[in-house]
Amino acid sequence: MKVTDIVQKLDLKVFSGHDGLGREVKGGYSSDLLSDVMGHSDAGDVWITIQTHRNVMAIASLKEIAAIIIASGEKPGDDTIAQSNEEGIPILGSDLPAFETAGKLYTLFN
Amino acid sequence: MKPFRADLHIHSLLSPCGSLEMSPATIISHALQKGLDMIAVSDHNSTLHCELMVSMGKKAGLTVLRAAEVTSAEEVHCLVILPDENAAHSFQMWLDCHSMNIPNHPEIFGYQVVIDENENIIREIDHFLPASLSASIDMVEAEAHHLGALFIPAHIDRPSMSITSQLGFIPEDLYIDAVEVVGKIPELLYPVIRNSDAHIPEHIGRRYSTYLMESPTFSELAMAIKGEEGRMILSVTP
Repeated sequence: MKVTDIVQKLDLKVFSGHDGLGREVKGGYSSDLLSDVMGHSDAGDVWITIQTHRNVMAIASLKEIAAIIIASGEKPGDDTIAQSNEEGIPILGSDLPAFETAGKLYTLFN
Repeated sequence: MKPFRADLHIHSLLSPCGSLEMSPATIISHALQKGLDMIAVSDHNSTLHCELMVSMGKKAGLTVLRAAEVTSAEEVHCLVILPDENAAHSFQMWLDCHSMNIPNHPEIFGYQVVIDENENIIREIDHFLPASLSASIDMVEAEAHHLGALFIPAHIDRPSMSITSQLGFIPEDLYIDAVEVVGKIPELLYPVIRNSDAHIPEHIGRRYSTYLMESPTFSELAMAIKGEEGRMILSVTP
């Protein structure tokens, strides 16, 4: 499954990082504590969060996250968007809260 | 110049998690007993006990600085230590503007009361003070420095509500005056201080820092933290 498949199936906005829409997705992780994501996410995960601080992109890059989904209709800042475009790691948007977004994503893997 | 001991992170009974014993008089008497020269009252997202504590401290011969422990939108706790009454007043208005107004449930979280010098309750705060503000950590830092305050991320080595737990690492473009550390001193480029984060009288002064200064005042403290004109952080408690 690719990031673009998830965008279509979950009807997500694409804020940035369009170059990375073809990245392969291997799983998912949901957390707003960046220290937790650093410790427990895996390369190729789609990461669901409501945290919008620019450090989100640094962690995503470090952990080779496939794409970030910002839940609850939150929006990333300009500096976060710029880094997403530079790194080619897409930031996607869901109007649903993290729980529903994760529920829908989970069904795609099972 | 001489050494002054300062504990800059103390909650009064205004913080819901602060013991009801933490009245200004009790805080001041415990601080003096512990041999502290200077304290800061730093309630969650509020400066409403500052003026009372400053004036009571003055009478008792203890410097009290105005401060708040701010919860940013990212749920990072940051100490903002304010230079004077005007700055504290402006900062309180800014805090009120950025409150999410989540109601407090005193039976669960504890009471949030403002008292006078005779320990009569003059006001109860309805919104849950420790809740995160709508302001990002960048906005907290900008407002603090706009008011001439010191911006100090709190207990950065704690597994919750710290800059490291919430943001993974310290963003290098954030203008930080010092960091507050609880445990082992990490290798960092920032000045490190220790404070008690006391919520009960017995904890006041359990951790503190010693500053080499001319006198125990905000401006001397700011110079000591920045290492200016011979002022410096001399030591921190183990």
